[in-house]
Amino acid sequence: MSRPGYLLLRRSGALFGVASAAVLGLSRQGAAYRVEVAEHGLLADEVVGVVENLDVRPLAPLVSRYWPEASGGWAVHAGAPVVVVDPCRPPRALAEGETVDGE
Amino acid sequence: MSEAGSHLLVRAGDFVCALPLQSVRRVMRALTVHPLPGATAELKGLSEFAGEPLPILDLARLVGAPPGASPAFPVTIVAWAGPPEARETVGLAAEAALGVVSVPASSVVVGEGGFVVGEASVAGDVVRVLNLEALGRR
Repeated sequence: MSRPGYLLLRRSGALFGVASAAVLGLSRQGAAYRVEVAEHGLLADEVVGVVENLDVRPLAPLVSRYWPEASGGWAVHAGAPVVVVDPCRPPRALAEGETVDGE
Repeated sequence: MSEAGSHLLVRAGDFVCALPLQSVRRVMRALTVHPLPGATAELKGLSEFAGEPLPILDLARLVGAPPGASPAFPVTIVAWAGPPEARETVGLAAEAALGVVSVPASSVVVGEGGFVVGEASVAGDVVRVLNLEALGRR
């Protein structure tokens, strides 16, 4: 039985959601957290928690124009926008060893 | 004043821009913006509006305006963007909403088209007239 819900992660000020069913492992890595999904390791500054459900919609095309990354959609949780991660194609902002603008 | 020619004047950096009033949903005190790492400079980040996620774009960057003397974004203009059949809601971070004026199409000196349609003179000031339906077109 797959686990419901989403693991919420914060990275560089942004909130990301990963379907709990896709999470294979979670560990500390220095001051950060490493989340194992599919064939990727994701780095997070903070593990915010787990939410049971998110009303996930497709990411607006306008966002994709200025943020050229794959995603599983977006949602709002507790008044904050959440970008849902595609476990097979996570954004570079979450990838190990990646630095992105603004960091 | 007919709505067709009505525009909201907005200060964005050193430019004053005219947004078609029919595209404007709301003018608000700046929404809290959550940065989206890896985004281009035009996308300041994401916010929330009426329970939905909302992209916040830097209007000054979109129109190529030099930053103003005090580049801050105290105002968010929530507007419709894109063509009517596929419109999206967007937040435009700006420095001030200045008021509503009539900008007749005949007064616009048309430029290259697209997002910035051209320029018009309003009360002696040069105003960039915007077409939000063209925002997001590649």
